[in-house]
Amino acid sequence: MKRKMNFWPAVFIGPFLILFIVFVLAPAVFGVFVSLTDWDLYNAPEFVGFDNFKTILFDTESIYHDQFFNGAKNTLSFVVMAVPACIIIPLALALMLSVKARGHKLFQSLLYLPNLFAISAVMIIWAFQLSLSYGPFKDWFGLDINITSTQPWAWIAIVGVTLWWCAGGNLIIYVAALNTIPKDQIEASQIDGAGSVIRFFRIVLPNIRSQLLFTTVMTTIAQFNVYGQALMLTGGGPNNSTRVLMMYIQQNAFGTGISAAGMAAAMAVLLGLVIMIFSGIQFMISRRAEA
Amino acid sequence: MGKSERVKKIVCFIVLAAVCVVWMFPVLWAVLTSFKSEYEIQSSGFHLIPREWTIDNYMQLVGNDSTPVFQWFVNSLIIAVGHMLLVLVIVSLAAYGFTRLNFKFRSQLFGILLSTMMLPSVINLIPNFKIVDSLGWTNTFLAVIVPGAASVYNLFLVKQFMDGIPKELDESAFVDGANRFQIFWHIILPLSRPVLTVVALFSFTGAWNDFLWPSIVMTDVDKLPITPGLQLLQGQYMTYPGVGTAGAILALVPTFLLYLAAQKSFMESMSLNSGIK
Repeated sequence: MKRKMNFWPAVFIGPFLILFIVFVLAPAVFGVFVSLTDWDLYNAPEFVGFDNFKTILFDTESIYHDQFFNGAKNTLSFVVMAVPACIIIPLALALMLSVKARGHKLFQSLLYLPNLFAISAVMIIWAFQLSLSYGPFKDWFGLDINITSTQPWAWIAIVGVTLWWCAGGNLIIYVAALNTIPKDQIEASQIDGAGSVIRFFRIVLPNIRSQLLFTTVMTTIAQFNVYGQALMLTGGGPNNSTRVLMMYIQQNAFGTGISAAGMAAAMAVLLGLVIMIFSGIQFMISRRAEA
Repeated sequence: MGKSERVKKIVCFIVLAAVCVVWMFPVLWAVLTSFKSEYEIQSSGFHLIPREWTIDNYMQLVGNDSTPVFQWFVNSLIIAVGHMLLVLVIVSLAAYGFTRLNFKFRSQLFGILLSTMMLPSVINLIPNFKIVDSLGWTNTFLAVIVPGAASVYNLFLVKQFMDGIPKELDESAFVDGANRFQIFWHIILPLSRPVLTVVALFSFTGAWNDFLWPSIVMTDVDKLPITPGLQLLQGQYMTYPGVGTAGAILALVPTFLLYLAAQKSFMESMSLNSGIK
């Protein structure tokens, strides 16, 4: 049995490793390289150093500069609005679910459901709901505003639909976390006569701290990649005020006309760097939890 | 139960019930509207229940060349099942390798894999297009089945689970003369069913719901999966809620059925997620 050749690791780990290298690791390296080139996706990329980054960040004459700053501003605005909404509202709903009133299991299932829906189907349904001609807002509530093409309603709509779509995941995590809070801690505080607000801050929040941190980081990372909502609900409008960075990246690399893939890759690297700060935080936390 | 406890329960019930009605309203409206005639939708203001039920909207999607929604539906099924199977195979094999085989640099390799979870996927988008294109995979199902399959996150989940299976089980089988693959197939895989179910559900729904990537590598209308396909549908039927909602509802049916069948696994998987603190 003492053979030197051990082929089992290759058999078991090989397939995963090959796909990992070809479609995860290589593209990550290649992506950074491409951001340093002038490239149209088909001809050989021409190395230009940091020119793309200089153009994007400092050349006020360039269209890419305008695109990047507008896209970054819009993506960031979206993150700042959507992340708190996707944390606070699911938490409030989870607190109510944890009271375990009649029907709480059914309510939880219903609230989670949109989380599994394809984004394009969600946006078709909501685009009709929010439209003046086909939605309930005008006929039932007399609201005579074209929501998806008027600010600030366009942002409210995008954030609201995102909340509807994403709340379920965080909700489930919070419900599970709330169920693990030791009963005696809560009872003790009741005996002490602490009100529910004090109890929430003194006992509930500290007990679900790690889940709050986890969901905040993961939600932030997810929302920086915002694309489908703005694309299909507002089309980036009105006046590009909801045109997010991913839309510019997609458009520059794969849109009509000659591809500016190098420039798009540079934008992707800049967005990626911001996202990496948050995934770095996530990585540190998980390392500390393991230790 | 104290009086204040009872009041609390009633208040929570009322608030949650109200929220759920609002939450489900758009879906309910979409389902019902997909069965209304276009004439009824355009002429009689906002209402929920169809005055006359019809399947015209769905019929209009059959054999429709510019938006072949039923073709997209079939494409999506093939893609999602294919992706799910590929993920199950490569992830369970690799997870077994990392928990049961001894080889040089095993833990270092796993550590490197874990740390790549930090890499933002947005950087991979453009290069992956080029890689898939060079392989001649654009407009083939391989382009959407294969690239996302090597998920370190799934590997981590399954490895964690397999670590928890007692080593004595496979060691005694090893003594009995079973080889590595037999042990994997007959002992470890059956015991790993709970975690593999979670991975299967999420890789299926992930592939089904994927939007941006397939819209980049599938330019042929007949090859599109349904999720990016619906963007074309929206472009053409922006002013036809009947057909628009019919297409959207079709895209929701499989994930909804899966949820009904495996609700518990979905819920458990969410807490598994947060377990990776």
